Amino acid sequence: MTHELLNGLSPVEIEQVLKLGTRLIVPSGASLFRLGDPADRLFLTERGRIKLTLPMQLRGREEDVFVEERSPGQTVGWSALIPPYRFTLAATAALFEAEVIALPREALLQYFAANSAAGYKIALNLAVVIGHRLQLFQTMWLREMQRTVEVRSA
Amino acid sequence: MVLCIAVCGVAFVALAFGAAMRSDSWNSPMQPKLPLVKVAAPARFFSDRVPVSPVVPPLQVPIEVLLLQIENHVRLEQAAAESFLAFPSQALLHSKTTSPFVN
Repeated sequence: MTHELLNGLSPVEIEQVLKLGTRLIVPSGASLFRLGDPADRLFLTERGRIKLTLPMQLRGREEDVFVEERSPGQTVGWSALIPPYRFTLAATAALFEAEVIALPREALLQYFAANSAAGYKIALNLAVVIGHRLQLFQTMWLREMQRTVEVRSA
Repeated sequence: MVLCIAVCGVAFVALAFGAAMRSDSWNSPMQPKLPLVKVAAPARFFSDRVPVSPVVPPLQVPIEVLLLQIENHVRLEQAAAESFLAFPSQALLHSKTTSPFVN
């Protein structure tokens, strides 16, 4: 399994980072974290899919609406490394059971302090993950705005 | 004779002055406002016999179906956004969505 967050790290460094974490099994439909929860752990998806959702009002009811899905190898919960360390989405295992490696923030920060070269590579990989999310949603936002403008000026 | 010419002259000047004042008042921007006349609406004969179309509420799909439609829409829009990010261009940015949710 190749994890996007660990790209460019040596096998020894990868092993060291993975040893910081704990494997978690998330049953289908079970919550990994909720919106607003303290983000003290970052997750590497090992198996299954993690569904990210946001609450939306639908006909007077609050429903979790699909935002994104993370596959094996992808990172979930990077809010654990970004202040104010609160999850801004909710995460649940999708149709099937999922397996993730939970990496505590404190352990990661200690590792980065002791292994700055590996910490630098992980920080760059994290920037790629966050940057991609930003570009993706910026594009989607503009497309939605364009449609809104077309509807309003029709 | 002189008196007669003087009286006629005064009368002529008075008439000319009066005419000039009338034409000024026509051109003045301070015209009195005319009352607005409402155009009478055309008579609607037998208007009470015109059938009023009943307001049909839009067909509501079950909330689970709506959630799936939204999910499908988000997935399609993400795919469109990914295409744009792979090869950024104005055409791809504004490519028409195939999502039935907004079509």
